Amino acid sequence: MALINALAHTIVTEDLYAKEFVAERCEQADFNIWLDFIKLPVNSPEAMAKITNVPASEIRAAARLYAAGPNSAIYYGLGVTEHSQGSTMVIGMANLAMLTGNIGRRGVGVNPLRGQNNVQGACDMGSFPHELSGYRHISEEAPRKLFEADWGVTLDPEPGLRIPNMFDAAIDGSFKAIYVQGEDIAQSDPNTKHVQAALTSMECVVVQDLFLNETAAYAHVFLPGSSFLEKDGTFTNAERRISRVRKAIPPVAGLADWEITCALSNALGYPMPYSHPSEIMDEIARLTPTFTGVSFDKIDELGSIQWPCNDDAPEGTPTMHIGGFVRGLGKFELTEYVPTDERTGPRFPLILTTGRILSQYNVGAQTRRTENNSWHEEDVLDIHPHDAEHRGIRDGDRVALMSRSGETSLRAHISDRMQPGVVYTTFHHPETGANVVTTENADWATGCPEYKVTAVEIRPTNRWSDWQEEYEEFKDVAMRIGDPKVAAE
Amino acid sequence: MGDEHLVKMANQIADFFRLKPEEEAVAGAADHIVKFWDPRMRAKMAAYLAQGGEGLNPLALKATQRACPTAPEK
Repeated sequence: MALINALAHTIVTEDLYAKEFVAERCEQADFNIWLDFIKLPVNSPEAMAKITNVPASEIRAAARLYAAGPNSAIYYGLGVTEHSQGSTMVIGMANLAMLTGNIGRRGVGVNPLRGQNNVQGACDMGSFPHELSGYRHISEEAPRKLFEADWGVTLDPEPGLRIPNMFDAAIDGSFKAIYVQGEDIAQSDPNTKHVQAALTSMECVVVQDLFLNETAAYAHVFLPGSSFLEKDGTFTNAERRISRVRKAIPPVAGLADWEITCALSNALGYPMPYSHPSEIMDEIARLTPTFTGVSFDKIDELGSIQWPCNDDAPEGTPTMHIGGFVRGLGKFELTEYVPTDERTGPRFPLILTTGRILSQYNVGAQTRRTENNSWHEEDVLDIHPHDAEHRGIRDGDRVALMSRSGETSLRAHISDRMQPGVVYTTFHHPETGANVVTTENADWATGCPEYKVTAVEIRPTNRWSDWQEEYEEFKDVAMRIGDPKVAAE
Repeated sequence: MGDEHLVKMANQIADFFRLKPEEEAVAGAADHIVKFWDPRMRAKMAAYLAQGGEGLNPLALKATQRACPTAPEK
């Protein structure tokens, strides 16, 4: 956030902004308030350099380059959102794009690089606990009534719980069951001990996945998942492009994912009589204004479709925000930099940031079972030589990694790639338990965990942490597969 | 869900709105809480406010009082 504000400050104070675009496309009153805010000396590159460690001259050079264009685009990764001010930073980037007129035409824009191939599609379909498909809030009566009429049910107009809040409510006793499809929350979510306490508090945990992942250790029921080769459907990528995925072989488990969900719903009393995923897409089109023109037949005809696809744009919309924004005029929001509460100090003087590497996919549930393991067989802790020397740590030593949430251990990898004071590890291997250490700090708006900032300390060790030993013991029992005949009896 | 966690969440939300004029800031933060907090979170905050709302910053206090006046039915 500090960096983005410094870029905007430079563009404004050096008079590099697109005055015509702002005057034509944005709300002037809000822009003027924002202008006064961003001009404040606290937002200058010189002031922000102390926070970002990026030299002011480089921030100014980057701002000039971005503003000069003629076409400048912003692409950002998951790391942006994994901060306490992740949402504010995305708003700040939208401000930058409007300020320079770099939005609403080919070759520009603000573009998230998604962490998985269908993050966009899941969001589009209302996977948030407060939304219907097409980003319509559940409290809005018109879309809710549309769904109620189509489904023949009454819908609760209140938002539901997000995943971290589900865990809290499970421990409180008000959240009793969860159905997890294709996600490994026991390994991927922060503060593992809290997640484990939540999962063991629930009365019914159902996991549907390709493999027995770490969450499966807490499952009362495990349902087989199907891979992309075993099902029909669509994926939607970050440019809103809906593409078909086609079944190459029948599902090895007998049913595709969507068929299992339908069977479960039928058994629970709500009939889902779809005979093919194309019928589900027809329902999406019927109920979602940005999808009214989408069907499997049309995707097959055109190859792929970028939504919105409707009467106004029968073949889809490659570029959004041409001539106007969805809300009408663009709105500049104030984006004050607020430091995270997670601070280093005498007990935890280093900052841990976690991430992923190319050869393993996310929690590694799929890739750890492949030869990819020969490239990355364990999570290691990258540490700067000065920080390592100060603690008597040599390359390859086992080190204890401690935060206020918990402790784990892994091998150290001494690397000049790290800044002094910052350490890094991946979360691909469950036995490492990187998320035992991460905290429940989260973004103010989305609840996205602050994976990029955990205050930690490191010391040499010759043993696994208590959590690692206990987890190995627990997993050995929990993952044991019994004789199905005995289970059936 | 611990009260401390809810207080932190409310304070963070208030921080985003704090540079706006007071009424706009209170309305913005309250609207966010109503739109994105499950009713049981708002009910818990309502109970916490009844005990005084310690730890909430002034803007968060006003916003939660508006967003969580009584425990919503669920």
